Formats: sequence, C-alpha cells, structure tokens
Amino acid sequence: MPIGGFVIHVWPAKKPQVLKELAREERLSVYAHDDKGHVVVVIETETSEEMAHLVRSLSLIEGIFTINLAYLYGEDEVEKIESGAYKPQTVFGKAFR
Amino acid sequence: MGLSRREFLKTTAALTAAALAGIDLPLKGEDLAQAAEVDGWFRGTCRFCGVGCRVELGVKNGRPVAIRGVPQSRTNMGYLCMKGMLFYQLMRHPDRLKRPLYRARKTDQFREISWEEALDIAAEKFAQALKTYGPASVAYYGSGQALTEETYLFQKVMRAGLRTNNVEGNPRLCMASAVGGYITSFGADEPIGSYADIEQAFCFFIIGSNMAEAHPVLFRRVMRRKLDNPDKVFVINADPRVSPTSRIADIHLQFEPGTDLALLNAMAYVILEEKLYNEDFIKNYCAFRLGKQKKRVSFEEYKKFIAVYTPERAADICKGNITPEIIRLVARKFATSPATMSFWTMGINQRIRGVWANNLIHNLHLLTGQLCRPGADSFSLTGQPNACGGVREGGGLCHILPGHRPVKVDKLRHQVEDLWGVPRGRIPAKPGYHTMAMFSAVNQGKIKAIWINCTSPAQSLPNADKYRKGLAREDVFVVVTDIFPTKTTELANLVLPTAFHFEKTGVYGCTERRSQLTVKAVDPPGEAKPEVWIVREWALKLADKLKDPVVKKCVEPFLGLEEGYALPKAIWDEYTQKLTAGRDNDLRGAPYEVLKKLPDGVQWPAPTKEWALRGGTYKKFVRGLDPLADIHAVDERPYQFYGPAHKDRKLWIWLRPHKGPAEEPDAEYPFYLSTGRVIDHWHTSSMTGRIKELMRANPYAYVEINPKDAKRLGIGPGDMVLVETRRGRNILPAKVYEGPMEKMVFVYWHDMAEERMINRVTKDAFDPGSKEPEFKICACKIRRLSGPKPLKPYIVRL
Ligand code: SF4
Repeated sequence: MPIGGFVIHVWPAKKPQVLKELAREERLSVYAHDDKGHVVVVIETETSEEMAHLVRSLSLIEGIFTINLAYLYGEDEVEKIESGAYKPQTVFGKAFR
Repeated sequence: MGLSRREFLKTTAALTAAALAGIDLPLKGEDLAQAAEVDGWFRGTCRFCGVGCRVELGVKNGRPVAIRGVPQSRTNMGYLCMKGMLFYQLMRHPDRLKRPLYRARKTDQFREISWEEALDIAAEKFAQALKTYGPASVAYYGSGQALTEETYLFQKVMRAGLRTNNVEGNPRLCMASAVGGYITSFGADEPIGSYADIEQAFCFFIIGSNMAEAHPVLFRRVMRRKLDNPDKVFVINADPRVSPTSRIADIHLQFEPGTDLALLNAMAYVILEEKLYNEDFIKNYCAFRLGKQKKRVSFEEYKKFIAVYTPERAADICKGNITPEIIRLVARKFATSPATMSFWTMGINQRIRGVWANNLIHNLHLLTGQLCRPGADSFSLTGQPNACGGVREGGGLCHILPGHRPVKVDKLRHQVEDLWGVPRGRIPAKPGYHTMAMFSAVNQGKIKAIWINCTSPAQSLPNADKYRKGLAREDVFVVVTDIFPTKTTELANLVLPTAFHFEKTGVYGCTERRSQLTVKAVDPPGEAKPEVWIVREWALKLADKLKDPVVKKCVEPFLGLEEGYALPKAIWDEYTQKLTAGRDNDLRGAPYEVLKKLPDGVQWPAPTKEWALRGGTYKKFVRGLDPLADIHAVDERPYQFYGPAHKDRKLWIWLRPHKGPAEEPDAEYPFYLSTGRVIDHWHTSSMTGRIKELMRANPYAYVEINPKDAKRLGIGPGDMVLVETRRGRNILPAKVYEGPMEKMVFVYWHDMAEERMINRVTKDAFDPGSKEPEFKICACKIRRLSGPKPLKPYIVRL
C-alpha cells in the first residue's frame, strides 16, 4: 500500500468547503493547512494507480487548483510488482510515444 | 515512544509535504530518526514531461522504493505530479524487455539472442544497406526522452560514420514549429527567459496548452502567483476546448480550431489601433519581415497589412465565444500589464502553419516590448524531458548539427568535422529526411535499415496505418531500442532492451535551457544496456564490416569506458567542451562535476565554471545577465541579440496572414477532430462521494462530445461511437461533456488498441516550414453504433 505526502493548493476563500469535502475521503488524512491555501495531506491506497486516480478526482473539487506530490513510498507495491502479484496497467510512455 | 513503521512513513510523508508549504508540523522529530526508510537517495530529473522537475529516487536493497522532490530546485521547489509514481512501476514492471530479440522475417516469432549476435546482425544489415544503396538508405529515428549523450552519439555515428543526415526524432512531431518560430523571430532557438519570470509576471497568456494538466508543477507556480496577487495578476487562456486550465483562467477565449492566426493578428490590430505598442523597443530592436525571401518592410507596411484583421472580422472567423470586445480586452491586458508571459504547446505547434502561429505570438511581445524584462517572455513549453537538450541542442534533427549548427552552412559543418577529427566532406551538405519524409521513404523502400530509439512511430505518427505498411515491409530492416514492447516492436526485426532512467547516467535539458544530470541508482533488469554502450559496440562492428576507420574514429574517445558513468561522462565532455564552445548554447562551464554540485543544474549559456556554478543564464540577450550578450555587444544598448540566424541582430516582426487548417469540416465530414496527449479520465463537478464510482469508469481512450451535439445525434454517455475520417475509422466510447465546443470532438491518443488508436485516422499534412504535422485538426463524422460495451486493454506482446 503506497503512502503519498501531498500539498493541495486551494483558493483560500474556498478552503472550508474543500476541507469538508476532503474529510469525506477515508483514504486521505489532512495534517495541516494555512491561510495561503496550502493543505498538507497523506494519502494511502491499495495501489499507486488508485492513488493517481484519486488525486485526479480530488483535483476536480471546486476550490482546488492543483495537487502536488512531495513524497511517495511504495516498497510493498514494488515487491508486489516484482513478484507478479500486481501488474500496473500503465502502458509505458503512453503520453509521448 | 517509537512509531510503527507505517506511521513513521506517513509522518515522513506529511513532514516532507509540510516543509514544501513552509508549515511546521507538531510532530516529533526524534521518532523520525528511528529507521531510515531507504538505503540512499539518488538525484535526477523526472522524465515524464518537459518541465524538468528535480526528483530523488529512494533505493533500498538495490531497488527503487520511493520518490521525493528536491526542495532546493528552482524548477519545481520540491513539488512533483503523480506521474512520478511511474518510476518504480516501470523500472520493476514484469513486461520489461530483458534480452535482445531477433527474427529474420517480420512474420516469424522472435527468438532470444546474445548481445554479440544482436550487434553483429545490426551492423551487418546497416553495412549491407549502405554498400548496396548508399548512405541515404539508412536512418535513425530518436526521441525527446533519450539522454543528450545518447542522441549525440547516435547522430555522430550516423552523420560522420555512415555519412547520412537521416537523423530525426519525435520532437519533430511536437515542437519543430516552436524551433522554427524562435529562429525566424529571434534569430536563435529556445526561450529568452525562464520559469523564474512566472513570479514576476502580471499577465499570463496561455494559448493552445492545457497547462494545468500537461505541466502541472509549472502551472502551480502560475496559480500561486495569481493567488498571492489576485487583483494584480490576470490569466488568459485561449483554446477551443474547456479544460482545467480554462476553468481557472480569468478569461477563456474559445475559438474554432485553426482560427488562432486570425485571433493573434487581431490582437496586434488592437495594439496598433490603440497605440499600445512600445515605440522605443520597436525602433531599437525590431525589423519587419515578409514572405519566403524575408523581405524587409516598414512599420507602415506592417500597419497596412494588419489593417484587415479588425476584431470584428476575426470574431467572424474565430466563432465560439470570440467577440470584438473580448479581443480588445485581452489585447489591452497583454499590452498594458507591467509584464506579460505567454505559454503554448502543441495547440500552436501542430498546425499547418505552426511556425507562423509561433511568429504571431512573438509579434505581440515584440510590438509591446514584453520581452527581456523580468516577468515578460514568450515561452514555448515542451512536452518531452529532453526535446530541447538532446534533440534541439545535441543534433537530433536532420537539418541541425550539435550546438545549433545548420547542416547546410559549410563553415559550421566543417567545424563539426574538424572537432570530431574526421575528414572534411564526411558529413553530407544536404539535410536528411525530416520525419514525415523519412517514413514516406520507408514506405517507398528507399530506406533499407532504420534504427528507432525510445519512441513508437507506429503509434505516434499521424495517419499511422499508412506508415506502418512501410515499416512492415520485409525489405526494410527495423531495429528498435526500448524498455517495453510497443506498436513499433511489433514491426521490428531486432529488439534491443535498454536501461531506463536512473538505471544509467546522463543529462536532460528542459524547456528553460536548463541541463540537469541524472545519476545511475539501480541496475537495469536482465541484460538491458544503456544506449551509449549499444551505439559504441555497434559502431565498432560497423567499422569492421565497412572496413572504414572513420566509423571507429567516431567512438574511439570512448573505448573501454565503463557504461554506467564514465562512458556518458566522456560523451558529455566531448559534446560540451568541443561542440558547444562558442555557440549560443555554450555549456563548457557545466561538466558532470558542476552539474552534481547544483540542485537544479545549469542554464546555458554557461561558458565558464564560475558562471555555471551561479546557475548559468536566467535571461538571454540582456547585458549583465547573459555573459554572451556582453561578449557579442556591438553598442551600449542593454539588449544584444546575437542569435546566429539574424545577421542584422534584430528581432523580426513577421507579416503572416491567417490560414485555416489543411482539412476543414464539410457536408460529408462535419466535425472538427482534435487530439491530445494528456490522459484525463474524469471531468465532472460533484466529486468525492463518487470517487469509487468514478474509479470504475472506463480507463481507455474515448471521444469527447459536446452535450448539444450528443443530444442531436442520440449519443449517450458511454455509447460506442464511430469516428470516421477520410483515412479510417475508430470506435470509441463517448464522453458527453462541455469540453469541446459544438461541432468538435476530442480524442486522447494513448490507447494502443487498434479500434481506439486515433492516429490511424488523423491527417498527415504538415507545416511546410517546420515539417511538423497538423495532428490537432482534421475533419470527421461521428455516429452512434451501440450502447456501452465492456472494453479490454491492449497490451503489446512479442
Ligand atoms: S510536472 Fe512533469 S517533470 Fe514535473 S513531476 Fe510531473 S511529469 Fe515530472
């Protein structure tokens, strides 16, 4: 289960509403936020693909303008990938080939 | 009390993120000392887009387990996007190619062979083609994802060894028009300014780019600037499609695809009409130019030319939400803001007149003097991590030698021959085939052996079926070097497994003239090898087979060097110390030792180590900021334009007329079809409660249709839709959404399944100047075929 540390950038005026929305997501914990609209969160998911999807979905919450990754740890996922227990659907380089 | 390992990792994640935002978390530091989460961190550059974010790969027991951003880096300040996860997914993926594979005929099964045999076959086939059909019968097609050392060495062997300029790469498909635009407008390739201008800009003009998704970390900086100065900073987005970028903009100009030239000329009209231009800047630094002959014309003639582009006429051409008033408004904002910065990508470059579109953006900056000052710049964004550093600067296109030297200039070509120590005349004077001509030559059987490195033209070329036929010919020998099977390995004779990023060492040069080193952190899987080793060993065999000592000469300086570090280092040294010396991309001050000292590499020009250690040049052409501006100064003026292409040392304002797309909708094919690269699966406004549901949504390519069109055609969400052009058909599920405007559909091109591979139907018309194809626009018709159907992913197998 990968662990990701993120900074969510929010329009300051919309922060209360965004925090309410974020509180509904059980795979995410809010650690801190400030007046400039930074919200520090940690996300845990079954797979990093699931994390990517979740982040993309969160980015559509009204009031969020971008979500940036700071740190990602995935040792057990790497083990699963190596053993064949988990095979990411990622088609390599699909964006640029 | 100690934390559990998982809590410890979560705390580390939270602390790392909080530090970037400048927030102190009330978490105990001593707990963090209890266990190192990795054995070591290795510094490099992200390879999943052109921003050049600095990233560290955490390695434990010899394998990658974590990533984090580099906070001291001026590109990303420690922030990354989710594409970073691809590192460990890809590095340890079971489908990685691990051994050389060969088949004599493309209908045969591949069999594993040794490297010795593989390189021998590759050398034999290229040598045979060369001896029988001449140097024009061999070709190299590379990538903006290859390291600079790789592109440089490949092209050296091809040009000086095999005597051909058939050296191309996929950046031709995404940024060749930007190169053409910079050279024709400024006399020199690549942006004048840097990302650092973002924090000093007051107006952002983002056109033909979904920056929020394609370059998310950079977009964060734009939005931070806006958030910190909400009343002073203005964001304009011009794009036919509603996107996350347009939603955040203060103004979204939504125009019909292919009408951008009219819009840009109309903005210039307003700037002239309302006298918003900067007379001093124009007088001191600009010249007006017209046509193929680059005829010099007067400001008065330019005014006359622009007089027909009234906002009223442009609004008629552009349609969408474009009105004369909105054009006037954005032109005023652009011209009168204290500093305006433009960004664009493929929406501008992939046009039948992509160079002109680039010129017209530059025109706006030149007319208003929104250039060379802090926060003012005309900045083309790049999609790939090393399109600039490797391909544009390192000699990766058929008409450019390393160090921005045009092939056809005898003096510069001979310079390169001398620097390489090969006889003069060894590099042909004529440029080779550009990408579309190269694959046409493959179709015609003129090219007999082609080496495709780190890219998949069988999927990424427009009108791909046409060119796949050529690659499938049995009389064309195809070598592919890559890390995974692709649509192109399906057409190969020889597939060679390569090391991935962080499994080898080398430099990427990102969009802002910045060169950054990535060091090897882990071993590649199986027998996969770095490309630099592959080229060197192949060249040695070629030299034997051709009995040509000059081929060997190309790799002689690199013989015997260890492939993980010493070999790429020696190649980088040769390239920077010899080939960039005295050129505008002078990187002599940036050997590996210097690059390693800095968290975020060096921006050229950086002729000395002293200058490089300060980070290099943030702003080109400005005296005091750019050492070459001082060296090349001809007078006391603060800006000195020494670009190699403009002998008059002026910036050129071009008279470029409006030109629509190569194929416009008509009665038979009434829709615009546009395509894009960023995968964006979900656009809906009510979110979190529905995330699980959305997770089940279709992860494949789909066709975006405006709700009004969908209603008219009886198409519902998820319905299977036939998308047909004059070149072929796709069958895709529908996404009905207010993204594309009416009479326009949009398809992402990442899906490799035959029926969803959109480049099978796109048009292969290209810009006559840059030779970049007009991927973005063609005409299509659409029809509902059925209700939703389950889809399967397509994975290439060998
Ligand atoms: S913005 Fe680009 S370079 Fe930065 S982390 Fe994302 S993909 Fe990598």
